[in-house]
Amino acid sequence: MAPERRHTIKAESSNIAIKRRQQVVLGWLMIWLAAVSLSGCAVKFIGDYDAAIDTGVSDVQQRAEVYFGKLKVDPATPYDPNFYNDIGARLTVLKTRAHILPQYPIIEQQLQELQGQFDRLQTLDKGMTRPFPIGAITAAESAITISVESILRLELALKRGDKNAPSLGATK
Amino acid sequence: MSLDAGALGSKMLAAALPILKKNAVDAESFASVEFKKIAQTMVSIEEMLAAGQINQQQAQLLLDMQKSASRSVLLTLKGLALLTAEEAINAALDIVKGVVNAAVKFPLIP
Repeated sequence: MAPERRHTIKAESSNIAIKRRQQVVLGWLMIWLAAVSLSGCAVKFIGDYDAAIDTGVSDVQQRAEVYFGKLKVDPATPYDPNFYNDIGARLTVLKTRAHILPQYPIIEQQLQELQGQFDRLQTLDKGMTRPFPIGAITAAESAITISVESILRLELALKRGDKNAPSLGATK
Repeated sequence: MSLDAGALGSKMLAAALPILKKNAVDAESFASVEFKKIAQTMVSIEEMLAAGQINQQQAQLLLDMQKSASRSVLLTLKGLALLTAEEAINAALDIVKGVVNAAVKFPLIP
């Protein structure tokens, strides 16, 4: 076979392969679009903003800050089991709410982490001889604050496109 | 009118890419601030342990609290990534909506 003819055949088969690939891509694109269309609305991978979780988590933080404040002012403040019972009950209510909300497993898991932090703080607080070292209070407070900030940041981001919602920029 | 997969793909990528880039920068800045705080606290736990202000069990409890905070930060990043993917896909669909709906002659993309 002449070299020009061989070259032409090669170019034609290459064009056919490209066209076939484009058809496959277009086919998948149409299937995907059809799936999106059948859902009848925009694509959504995670739930919507929930005001009860937002305010509930802020309330837990406020109560924790009052407790930390007392310990900082007077490191001899005795261990208070009522504080932990109250926080535990509030977090249980929030976890139940997160569990039933659609597409909320991430925030439910974060609430579980926050509960775990208070459980550890309780063990620490119960066993700590007074005065409670200020550095230990600050370390526990910092961990809880980061967890609360993380939940609130995600919760606020779930407002999606709300012009009044805080931006996704860095905190502090 | 037939659809051109290459042109559609390019338009969709052009709509999605700026969203992916912007949100990646925001997520990085959030993670950087939070992980710095966690790292500083870990240093202070080590210092308290060395100074005998807390014992090993207490240091472990405080460290576990920091590890939990790290997991919470990562979970937020996971959630933000899902929101970013969502926003990028919706922007990509929106940009080709007119062309696709005109080609198929019904509102395939609502």
